[in-house]
Amino acid sequence: MARPFLSTQLRTGLQAPMATAVSILPAQQLATLEGAYRKSVARKRSKAALATAAFCAVLVIAAFGAEVNLRTLFTYFGNFVSYFDRILTLDSGARVWTDPAEWFWGWHKWLKMLGETILISYVGTLTGAVLAFSLNFFAAQNTSPGPWVRFTVRRLLEFARTVPGIVFALIFVIAFGLGPMAGVLAIAIHTTGALGKLFAEIVENADMKPVEGIRSTGASWLSCMRFAVLPQVSAGYASYALLRFEINVREASVMGFVGAGGIGQELVVAIRKFYYSDVSAILITIIVTVFIIDISTGWLRGRLFGKETRR
Amino acid sequence: MLVVEGLTCRFGTKAAVDNASFSIAPGSFVGVIGRSGAGKSTLLRMINRLADPTSGRILFEGTDVTALRGKELRQWRARSAMIFQQFNLVGRLDVLTNVLMGRLAQIPSWRSLAQVWPEQDRALALSALDQFDIAQLAAQRADQLSGGQQQRVAIARALVQEPDIILADEPIASLDPRNTKIVMDALLRINKHFGITVLCNLHSLDLARTYCDRLIGMAAGRVVFDGAPAALTDQIARELYDLEANDVMGGAPMPAPDGTTVPALGTAAAA
Amino acid sequence: MSQLPRPDTAELRAKYPGVFDRPASARLAMPTMIAAAFAIFVYGLVDLDFSPTKLISGMSQLGWIAMLMIPPNPGTSFPLYMQALGETLSIALLGTTLAALLALPVSLLAARNIIPSNLIRFPVRRFLDSIRGVDTLIWALVWINVVGLGPFAGVLAIMVSDFGAFGKLFSEAIEAADRKQVEGIRASGGNALHEIRFGLLPQVLPVIAGQVLYFIESNTRSATIIGIVGAGGIGLQLAEQIRVLEWQKVSFLILMILIAVAAIDFISSKLRFAIIGQRAVV
Repeated sequence: MARPFLSTQLRTGLQAPMATAVSILPAQQLATLEGAYRKSVARKRSKAALATAAFCAVLVIAAFGAEVNLRTLFTYFGNFVSYFDRILTLDSGARVWTDPAEWFWGWHKWLKMLGETILISYVGTLTGAVLAFSLNFFAAQNTSPGPWVRFTVRRLLEFARTVPGIVFALIFVIAFGLGPMAGVLAIAIHTTGALGKLFAEIVENADMKPVEGIRSTGASWLSCMRFAVLPQVSAGYASYALLRFEINVREASVMGFVGAGGIGQELVVAIRKFYYSDVSAILITIIVTVFIIDISTGWLRGRLFGKETRR
Repeated sequence: MLVVEGLTCRFGTKAAVDNASFSIAPGSFVGVIGRSGAGKSTLLRMINRLADPTSGRILFEGTDVTALRGKELRQWRARSAMIFQQFNLVGRLDVLTNVLMGRLAQIPSWRSLAQVWPEQDRALALSALDQFDIAQLAAQRADQLSGGQQQRVAIARALVQEPDIILADEPIASLDPRNTKIVMDALLRINKHFGITVLCNLHSLDLARTYCDRLIGMAAGRVVFDGAPAALTDQIARELYDLEANDVMGGAPMPAPDGTTVPALGTAAAA
Repeated sequence: MSQLPRPDTAELRAKYPGVFDRPASARLAMPTMIAAAFAIFVYGLVDLDFSPTKLISGMSQLGWIAMLMIPPNPGTSFPLYMQALGETLSIALLGTTLAALLALPVSLLAARNIIPSNLIRFPVRRFLDSIRGVDTLIWALVWINVVGLGPFAGVLAIMVSDFGAFGKLFSEAIEAADRKQVEGIRASGGNALHEIRFGLLPQVLPVIAGQVLYFIESNTRSATIIGIVGAGGIGLQLAEQIRVLEWQKVSFLILMILIAVAAIDFISSKLRFAIIGQRAVV
């Protein structure tokens, strides 16, 4: 604290006299400080402005690339609204909720397809998780037997992860024939790629201090793994696998678009053939199912691994 | 004159502050002492109205602060400037903007939201920073400063609020001894030179005795001591702080184990 | 050397029964769960018509296809494919940006520290969840019905489905923001808008920017597939070539997608670092 405080100085132009513990600096000194502040802020601001301008320019180019046409949007936006109006109207002209039996006339078939969808994602997720589990130790830095193995496994996982599941499904439908098997395999491969990377990251991030702690009590290597590493990674593995299951249910719901089984087949037919009320009915069953799966896996994760691992 | 009448704050069934009553004359430097969890923090937060009392009143110069709403409430918050243990600065904003936050209650919202600060407010903020020798850091991000510097920014923010009373909630608990002195000295100077009332939570009894004219001791939410530092005997202090007493009173080192005073294993927790 | 006295086992057993005799339910829980999981798996295989013969013939078919894919060769369609790729990237970028702009205000309504009342927050959350529950491809089909075939439908599909995801993520970021900083503003006499503008946004915006960049990256992947249902981009070409069994072109297109995704990945991780790393005044 270099300078002593000056006497109280009442500032003008403000309300009633008040205790002011700040003495305004002389104008010249203020100007210097103000100048220095403005200068360094201006540098940051101009950088930010430049970045914003560049981003906007890219956006404009993208708008041309994607043939964005605001006029189309405005002209057809009514269609979007009326589309929802139509899918919420029965053939008889009544609102769908006035006659749930008519609205969900196909519930028996749809529930069966929905069950198939969930099974597809379940079998696909489990297969993918097992494959990822067996591959992740080769991909993790601290456990991989060699750099070449690691490199190859990593590239394989990357490939499986980057190519969208539905592209695999398109190809598998040709190789394995139409049906849910192609969907399961597509999901399994995509899941292997996604989970393999996450699992490997968990192994790499495992805290080695507990291992040291257990070892210091005189435990064997196996005990170290069982009691120091496994508790750390197993929760993460299961948590990611459950999360993936959730995602896969969504993914499996569209596998039917390319003939790879599940509820998607029904949906795409309903949309393409303009069976409006069917569209809303199927969408609602899908949304409700995804909700239930979300909530129950969330509950399961919380139950199994405590609150802290939830998301 | 700040008057607290029967102030109580309950969280569930537990009373954080239980029927506290006292009044504070303008210009005094009052320390609130007690062990952690005694309700000191809740008391200060209620005065600034960050926490709402379950019952009781706070009066400032005859105005019932507990009844204020909306703009008047915000004006009161500005008049009772709060200084926090963790500084509570906005880490990603620069230092000057952080200090200007102290003017929010005074200027129209459109100006502050658009960051068009009146010239005199900028001058005030810069001058406040200069008082603490950190005006050259005005353009830095607040989270890039050391703890001591951050607390000085926080005090500058409090000062530009042009407060009648400063509520300091453990202002030095996160600081090293050197910055502790800087911050406490600053509070003392603000108090002595400008007559701004300071109400300061302190964990350390030594500091409280050095700086404060009056001490309010709290235990389990109740005010159990209220008087001059000299009246606080070691006996009372021990009751206030219980097991932590030796810790906060500085002096005496832990008793050397001599076989008779060392409690047997397992009984310490029960003691 | 000190020695704890040998405890009286019987007494401890009486005091802490749970430690010595874990109930059968706790010991059997794990094996039961694994057995159940396996049982469902087997049921699934049967129900979904898995058969070894189908698997083997499919695998050989797949091997044959893989052979036909090499070497990747675009034929004469390379310029067309490049244009389609550009379209895909544009779809991803625009869709994500629009979604973020729409989601930011809505996410405030879904954050507990802004709207404490369940009455507003709960419906907003459920609304966002329902949007998220519908896959991008489904949205693409819906938008094709509205604005016709082409990339614009793709932009809108990505926008809507990301809107749901962003709304949820942003509101979580807002809820995770440091309360102390907001409290500092409130204690100085700031109003609710001040708290959001000065207390929250500076903390939250960099996190949000990071998430948006990450989504642009992952949406490049999504944007490649919405073409399959006719919403523009490289997926349209890909689905087309798979249908006509032009495997060399297929492998070339897949290669293009891989490279594009890797490039976007690289750029966005650089940008993310730049955004999170620096910038004081937001």
